[in-house]
Amino acid sequence: MPTTANDSRTGRARGLKNWQFYLIFAGVIVLVLLLFHLISGGGFLEWSNIKGIISRSAYPSFIAWGFCFLFACGYTDMSIGGVVVLGSFASCIFGNWYGLPGVILGGLLVGLCLIFINFLIFTYSGIPSWIAGISLAMIYEALAFLLKISRSTKALISTSLAKEYRVLGQLPWCLILLLAGLVVVYYLYNRTTVGLNIRALGGNRDVAEKLGINVKKTLLCVGFISGILVGVACVLQQSYAGQTTVKTGLTSINMIFQPLAIYLLAQIIRERINIVICVPICAFILYSIFNLLTMLGVPSGTLQEACLGAFIILFGIIGSRRVKGVVK
Amino acid sequence: MSGEVILEIRGLNKHFGPTYANKNIDFTLRRGEVHGLIGENGSGKSTLLSQIAGLYRSDSGEMQVNGKTYDPHSPLDANAHGISMVMQELGVIGSLPTGVNVFLGRTGRFAKGGIVDLREMNRAAAAVFEKWGLNMPPLNKLTENMIIEDRKMIELARALSIDPEILLLDEVTQSLSLNNRRNLYDLIARYKDMNRSVIVITHDIEEMIRITDTITVLRDGEVVGQVNSAETDPDQIRMMMVGRRISGDYYRDDKTADCGGEAVLSVRDLSIPGELEDVSFDVHAGEILGFCGLSDAGIHSVGKAVFGLISGSGTVHFLPTDVNITSAPQALANHIGYIPKDRDREALMIHASIRDNSVLPSVNELRAAMGLLPPGKVSGMAESIRRRFSVKSTGIMQSMNALSGGNKQKVNLGRWLAKDLRLLILDCPTRGVDVGVKAAIYALMKEAKKNGIAMILISDELTEVLGMADRLLVMKDGRITKEIRRDEDFTEQSVIGVMI
Repeated sequence: MPTTANDSRTGRARGLKNWQFYLIFAGVIVLVLLLFHLISGGGFLEWSNIKGIISRSAYPSFIAWGFCFLFACGYTDMSIGGVVVLGSFASCIFGNWYGLPGVILGGLLVGLCLIFINFLIFTYSGIPSWIAGISLAMIYEALAFLLKISRSTKALISTSLAKEYRVLGQLPWCLILLLAGLVVVYYLYNRTTVGLNIRALGGNRDVAEKLGINVKKTLLCVGFISGILVGVACVLQQSYAGQTTVKTGLTSINMIFQPLAIYLLAQIIRERINIVICVPICAFILYSIFNLLTMLGVPSGTLQEACLGAFIILFGIIGSRRVKGVVK
Repeated sequence: MSGEVILEIRGLNKHFGPTYANKNIDFTLRRGEVHGLIGENGSGKSTLLSQIAGLYRSDSGEMQVNGKTYDPHSPLDANAHGISMVMQELGVIGSLPTGVNVFLGRTGRFAKGGIVDLREMNRAAAAVFEKWGLNMPPLNKLTENMIIEDRKMIELARALSIDPEILLLDEVTQSLSLNNRRNLYDLIARYKDMNRSVIVITHDIEEMIRITDTITVLRDGEVVGQVNSAETDPDQIRMMMVGRRISGDYYRDDKTADCGGEAVLSVRDLSIPGELEDVSFDVHAGEILGFCGLSDAGIHSVGKAVFGLISGSGTVHFLPTDVNITSAPQALANHIGYIPKDRDREALMIHASIRDNSVLPSVNELRAAMGLLPPGKVSGMAESIRRRFSVKSTGIMQSMNALSGGNKQKVNLGRWLAKDLRLLILDCPTRGVDVGVKAAIYALMKEAKKNGIAMILISDELTEVLGMADRLLVMKDGRITKEIRRDEDFTEQSVIGVMI
């Protein structure tokens, strides 16, 4: 057998074995939920409340999975909020025209096409992705605004999706979509050649290129995969909220903050739990906190976001202490 | 060598802009031959290997493999022709685990129905490590926190995973400690026994003579000669490399252990879990204290701990100011300097200019009123370092990543020696530098010693510590196992016996 390099030098001071960590992690989550239940005066663990949290977690989980691919290849797309607005809008319009197939195809196609266009621009223009992303966000916001104005004035559009077509945003369908998404994304990210190539590209583009990975093709794959994930998120967003708020002045960027927070939380524990699995868990944790804060009467918006910020810092501190004895 | 020719190169040229990297290179490699390429930094040897490995396309000239025209358009194309290379500064993907890194770019061969069988891939990776007797890092672990040596092992396994007929090794040994070097030498010997061929680049002339059959010397992109390794000596190689005779021994020629000066540093019972155990020693003014050991011995952790980068129990007491060092800023404030082993990742801001890198350890001294850095002083200091240490560059605003390894190291060392230091920690200071730069670094160390600067020299090269140190501390499994003074039994045999 080959000799095994001393684990100490490669971050061995992990302390806990994986199964011990999983047990403690699950135990901590259960304890925290019980604590939330107590703090909320007994309403938190009611099934109707939990259902609401799960339904709310679905849409940002898909965006956060999209971020996994985006960030893995070293890109940042600030236009995703704008894409979600346009995609949700399309989902609403086509849903009201063609029923459930319209909801699905409208959101999916717009999400896919726009993110793919973004990646064509990132790949072939040479503009840094965050700069191009901001420009594209402004374009998508303006398009959504013009579309809404023109269709409203012609009385061609209902501002909200008909209730009978909102099933995908409710249990059990959103949970089924979430679990299906989890399986597909897990395999795509961890167990396919394209997933490994995407991660290699973000790790070190020079090395990846020298090892024969086709950079442009891989980037376009990222656009395609992220596009589908954002497309599903558009469908879920429309199905959950039933309406689209058109945003201008780059306020659509706000829409990516919560998925970003989910991604960051997942990133913190990724050494122990695969990041793809972490995403829905972190989404559930995050929305549980928001839910509790709402139940306690903390105003949504500024104060809840302050709590979110504090929570991320706390997780960051815990996460950065996970490996001892390693100079990072 | 009398084996059949496997690689034939005729009139190969490569230029980057107006600069010739290689000019009319003729080169022949035979089956079962270990062929060394040597030359100063920038002599074109890495470019030549890159052309053979398909990283660079040649401008003109011809290559033949097994008698057939060979013009690789990518490393994968070279692999398909049975050629693979371990590059000097390629690296691994930190965000991917070891097993994936070994087969990166070729993971498709383990895919069934679009899904990569990671277990199968890890089994195949383990088989490569096992077949060639390489130290295997954990296969499922991300490589981002691994030490340079483990990462190099992964690169080596990656190159060997295609089972190449011709293996190209570009300065691989510089990253390895003694035990892994021995493994590599065994591997090269096995390759030779299997009637396969190896081209090796190393700056260690003695090592090159020992492990190769033939040595081709390059200077300024041209082949200046070829010698039979069994019939040459280091002096002849050095002369061919630089075009003039370099004194036979650039190490110290005295046999005195000069460690009687005032003690500068006192380390007591230093323990870091998993790395160091009860390490105690003193360093004196004007003394060079050497550390050597195998890869897991903990020698590199000593440097980091003394500079306050890692901490544990025990004390690192800096005597002139009566301070216990617990952090790097504190070490810096107490006139302690540190040159880490991994130059590009731990020492230099590789995308910044020579100027910014040169003044970085001295910003406190350069700072004027209101914390501003006077541009004239900053540029003046950088320019004086560039001139004093003969950094080959276009000027102080040139980016560090445009410099050769040797010139990067001159900036790295020069910026510390430009300060008023009391103690300098040098971890593998001559890693990846040519004989000329090596001689310059040793000369600077001798000068620093004369000026009373205490030095801790940590090295994977035994000849280096034996050549330069006053005292040598041999380490094994995180402990100091023996102290040998220069005026005692200061030989490789006595050290190796303790190390292993």
